Amino acid sequence: MSLRVLNPNAEVLNKSAALHMTINAAKGLQDVLKTNLGPKGTIKMLVGGAGDIKLTKDGNTLLKEMQIQNPTAIMIARTAVAQDDASGDGTTSTVLFIGELMKQSERYIDEGMHPRVLVDGFDIAKRAILEFIEKFKTHVTVGETPDAEILKMVARTTLRTKLYESLADQLTDIVVNAVLCVRKPDEPIDLFMVEIMHMRHKFDVDTRLVEGLVLDHGSRHPDMKRRVENCHILTCNVSLEYEKSEVNAGFFYSNAEQREKMVAAERRQVDDRVRKIIELKNKVCSGNDNNFVVINQKGIDPPSLDLLARAGIVALRRAKRRNMERLVLACGGEAVNSVDDLTPDCLGWAGLVYEHVLGEEKYTFVENVKNPHSCTILIKGPNDHTIAQIKDAVRDGLRSVKNTIEDEAVILGAGAFEVAASQHLVNNVKKTVQGRAQLGVQAFADALLVVPKTLAENSGLDTQDVIIALTGEHDKGFIVGLNQHTGDPIDPLMEGIFDNYSVKRQIINSGPVIASQLLLVDEVIRAGRNMRKPS
Amino acid sequence: MKEIVTIQVGDFANYIFSHFWNFQDELLGLAQEPDGDPIYKNMPLDMDVLYRAGETQEGIATYCPRLISVGLQGSLGTLSTLDSLYNSIPSPDTSEIITWSGDVSKHISEPRKKNLFLQSLDEEWQGKSTSIGNDAVEGRGDAQIQIQDKDRVECLENGVQYWTDFSKVQYHPRSLFELHGSWTDIQKFDNYGIGKDVLSEGSQVEEMSERLRFFVEECDRIQGIQFIVDDSGGFSSVAATYLEDVADEYPNTPVLLYAARSPSSYSNIVSKKESISKCLHDAISFSRLSSLCKLMVPIGLPSLSKSKFSSVLHVEDQKLFHSSAVYAASIHSLSIPFRLGMLGPAASSSNAIGAINVGEAVQMLSSHASQNMVCTLNVAMPAPSSIDEQLKGSILRSLHSLTPEIQEDAEDFRAVETMIVHGTLYSRGHRASVSQVEDSICASYEHEPQKPLFSHLTVALCPLPIPLPFPSIFKSHVGRDGELLPGSTQSEQPKGSLDINSVPMAARLRSSNAIIPYIQRRLASIQRSGLQRGTSSAELLQKWGFGREEIEEMGEDLSRKIMSFNPHSEMSTDSD
Repeated sequence: MSLRVLNPNAEVLNKSAALHMTINAAKGLQDVLKTNLGPKGTIKMLVGGAGDIKLTKDGNTLLKEMQIQNPTAIMIARTAVAQDDASGDGTTSTVLFIGELMKQSERYIDEGMHPRVLVDGFDIAKRAILEFIEKFKTHVTVGETPDAEILKMVARTTLRTKLYESLADQLTDIVVNAVLCVRKPDEPIDLFMVEIMHMRHKFDVDTRLVEGLVLDHGSRHPDMKRRVENCHILTCNVSLEYEKSEVNAGFFYSNAEQREKMVAAERRQVDDRVRKIIELKNKVCSGNDNNFVVINQKGIDPPSLDLLARAGIVALRRAKRRNMERLVLACGGEAVNSVDDLTPDCLGWAGLVYEHVLGEEKYTFVENVKNPHSCTILIKGPNDHTIAQIKDAVRDGLRSVKNTIEDEAVILGAGAFEVAASQHLVNNVKKTVQGRAQLGVQAFADALLVVPKTLAENSGLDTQDVIIALTGEHDKGFIVGLNQHTGDPIDPLMEGIFDNYSVKRQIINSGPVIASQLLLVDEVIRAGRNMRKPS
Repeated sequence: MKEIVTIQVGDFANYIFSHFWNFQDELLGLAQEPDGDPIYKNMPLDMDVLYRAGETQEGIATYCPRLISVGLQGSLGTLSTLDSLYNSIPSPDTSEIITWSGDVSKHISEPRKKNLFLQSLDEEWQGKSTSIGNDAVEGRGDAQIQIQDKDRVECLENGVQYWTDFSKVQYHPRSLFELHGSWTDIQKFDNYGIGKDVLSEGSQVEEMSERLRFFVEECDRIQGIQFIVDDSGGFSSVAATYLEDVADEYPNTPVLLYAARSPSSYSNIVSKKESISKCLHDAISFSRLSSLCKLMVPIGLPSLSKSKFSSVLHVEDQKLFHSSAVYAASIHSLSIPFRLGMLGPAASSSNAIGAINVGEAVQMLSSHASQNMVCTLNVAMPAPSSIDEQLKGSILRSLHSLTPEIQEDAEDFRAVETMIVHGTLYSRGHRASVSQVEDSICASYEHEPQKPLFSHLTVALCPLPIPLPFPSIFKSHVGRDGELLPGSTQSEQPKGSLDINSVPMAARLRSSNAIIPYIQRRLASIQRSGLQRGTSSAELLQKWGFGREEIEEMGEDLSRKIMSFNPHSEMSTDSD
C-alpha cells in the first residue's frame, strides 16, 4: 500500500487477481505451443509484415519469434529457452509442463487452498521423480564404440518431430555419423567440429554428410585449378598481402622514386613468404602427381595469388577461424602461424578438393580425407525457409546424439516416462505424505500427464480414453507409451522411441521451480505505464 | 589499396547511410545518362571502392553496396531481409512446405504498406524488366510524372517511419542484419548494458562476423572499414563487440568510426537516475569505442535548426529523415578522397586532386604531435563560391561544426586537418576549376589568424547530387545548383529535390584541442560517479558488466587523452 501513497499512478493487482493473471498467462502460452508437440504436431508458417516467411515446429524458435509482452509469459519463456540452451530440446515440453502445473493448481486454489501448501507438495513430488528417473532410465553403454543403433533411435525420435518421416530417417544416419566422426574417446564432444553448411540448390533430400570440410568460398585466381586430386593441405594463418605499415603513408616520401623503393621493399617481404610456401610445394610434389592447396585465415593479395597460381598451387584466403581447427581435425597436419619453419609434417591430406559455383557463391569441398575428426553436414533445399527448418532440426538431432553419449542413458519416449512417473506419484509417493501437501503431489502427477494428453490431442484422439488405457496398462505392470496412429498403448522399447535423459531431468527440475515462484506471487505492481493485458 | 567495407549499426546510423547510398545511387545513374552533365560522366570517383559486383544464381549481374547494416528486429519496415534482387519473395502458400507432411497453421502479420515513393520504385523496377523502349510514352506523360514526383516527395516529408522508407538502393541479402532481442523492450534499448544482453542471445555475434568475412574475402586490397554507430543507446555496445571482432580478425585494416547521435537522443531526461545512467553510458561508450578504432568522429548536434546551419538550411529536428540528410552529405564529402582512383598524392588532374586512402588519412590525423584520434567535423552545406576576390575565405568562414560539445574558438597551432571541397561554383552556372579552388583555399588560409600545422586538401569538380528522396531542407535563397541567391525572403517554403539539382560542399576533419570539452565531460562522469563505491552508479556499472578496475583504467585512458593536448605533457602528474 505504501507504493500507492508514493506513486498514485501505480497499478496494483493483489492476491487472487494477481494469481489468476499469472495462471492465465501460463495457460495462454501453453495453448500457443501445445500443437507443436510430437510427430503429429502442427507446423507453423509465420509470414512477417514485409512478406518474409519463417517455418517452424520448434518451440524454441517460436518463443523467440513471438513478441511476448506479459511478464509471466516472459518468465516462462526464458526458462524454456534456457532449457534449450542447456540441453538442446524440450522447450515445448517445459512450457506445457509449467502451464499444466498452473492449471492444476488453479483448481485447488479456487477451492480455497493456499498456494504455499501446493508448493510444498510440488517439492516432495519433484524429489521423488528425480529419484524415480534414475531407476527408470535405460542405460546405454558407450565405451570405445557406442552402439550406433540406440543413437539412431534417439536421433530419429527427435527428427521425426521436426521433419517428415523419410527425410527424418535420412538425416538420422547423417547426424549420428557426424557425431561419431567428431567424437574422441575420453574427451567432451565438441559439436562445433561439425560444420553445418547450406546451399540453396536442388532439394531437401540432397542433404548429405561430407566427410571432410565444405568452405563457403573459393580460390580467387582465374588460373587456379577448380578440381585437384591427391592434395597436400597447408592450413595457415599468415598474411600474404602487402599491408601498409606505419611509415608508408604518402607524405613521408620526398619523391616518387623513394616511394617506389619502400613499396618494393615491403612487397619483397610478402613475396618471401609466398616463396617459402612454393618451396615446400616443390619439395612434396616433385616427381609425383600430387597437388598442393593453401587455406589461409588471413588475406592473399593478387600478386601473391599470381605467384601461387604459377606454381600450380590452389589458394583460398580468409577462411573462417573455426575452419582452421576443423581442417586440421579433418585432414591432419597442423595450423601454422608463420612460414619460417615449414616442414612436410605440417601438411594435411585430402584425396579430392574441388569447387562448386552457384551464382556468386562459391563452395570448396575438401573430401576423401583419412580418418577425419571433423565433418560437414551439407543442407540443400529450394528456398531459405526450408533450409532454415532443416538446419534447426539437424541442430536438435546432433544435440540429442551428443546428450545420449554423455548421459550414457536414455528415457523411454512416447509419453511412457510421464505415465510411469505420474502413476508412481499416485500409487506410491502420495501415501507417504502427510496432510494437504498430498494435493500438491496429486496436482504434480496430473500435470505430468500433459505430455501424453497433448500427443493424443495432436493425433486427433480422445485424451480421456488414451489416459485410461495407458494408466490401466501401466498398473498391470507394463511400461507403455502412446501409438499415435491408433491410440493404443505400445512398448516404446520395441518401437525404438527414446528421449534424452538430461532433457527430461531438466524439465522436471526447472518446471516446478518456476511454477512455484509464480504461484507465490501475491501482488503484481506496475508503476509508470499502464498495465498490459495478458496475451 | 582500394575497397572500403561499410558497417552501419543502429537506427540513426542507418538513416544517415540510407541517404548516403541514395547519393551514390544517384551518381551512378547520372554517370550513365546518355546526355547527362559531363561533370558526372567524367566523374573521377571509383564506385568499386564502395560497391561490389555480384551475380545471382540465375546469372543476373548485380552491383550492390559493400555493406552490413545492423538494426533491431522490425526496424526494416517494408524491406525484407531477403531482398528481391536475389530471391523472389516466396509465396506464403502452405503447399510450398516440403519438409512436413502433417498439419500446417499459418500466422500472417498485417503486411506493412509501402509508401508512394517505394511503390513507384517497384513499378519502375518491374517496368524495366518487362518493357524497354517506351520513351515516347514517357515523353507524353511528362506533365503527369511531375505531379507524381511532387506527391512522392510530399509523402516522404510527412510519413517516414523507417530508414528503408526513402531508400532507393538495392541491398545484398547479406547486408541487412536484424538483431533478435526476443523479449527486450525496444523503448528501453538505451544503455550500454542492454546491448550486451541482446548480443548474448544465440550466435548473433558470430553471424555478424561471418557477414563481414563474406565481404572482406572478396576484397583484393581492402583500404579500410567505414563504421558508423548510433552510440546513444544499446547499439554502442553492439558496435564495440563488432569492433573487437574486427580488431581480432583484421588487425591491419584501419577503421574510421563515426559516432552519430540523433537530435532526439538529447531530450527526455526525466529523473536523476536516468541522467546518471546517460552520463555513464556516454562515458563508457566513448571510452570503449575510441579504444577500438583508429580514428573517431563524433557527429550529431542537439539541434540543427538552432545551429549556425539555420541560415541556409531549414531542418526540422524531430524528423530523423531531415537531420540525417545533413550528416549523410558530410560523410559523402569525406569519402571522396578515398575514391579518387589511383591518383598518386602528388598527381594532379583537371577533375580532382588530393587522393588519399583511409589508412593515410587516419595516420595523418591521428599521429601528429598530440596523438589525438578524436576529430571534429566541420561542414559548409552548400559551400559558397570562394573564387570571388571579395569573398575570399568565405568557405572557411562558412564551415560549421557538426560535432557536439566542442570549444568553437579553440586555438591550436598543432591542429592537423583534411579538407574536401567539391562542386564549387565560380559564378552562376559555372564550376570553378580545380586549380582555381585550390589557389583560393590556399590564399584564404594566408589571411586566417590560426593556421593549422598541416592541411591536406582534396578538390573535386563533381558536386553533391540531390536525389528525389532527399528532404526539403534548403531555404528558399538556395538556387538550383546550390548557389546562394541574393535578396530572397526567408519566409518562403523550404526547397527540396524538385527545385535543387545539386549543391557544392565543403567538409573538414580536424584533429585539434577543440575536442577537449567533449572528452572532459566523459572523463568527469567516470570520475564523479563511476569510481564511487556502493552508489547507484556503481551498481549500474556492475550490471553492465564492468568491474571497478576496468572503470579505473578507462578513466586513466581518458585523462591521458586530455593530457596529450598539453604541449608540456611529458611532465608527469602522477604525484597527486
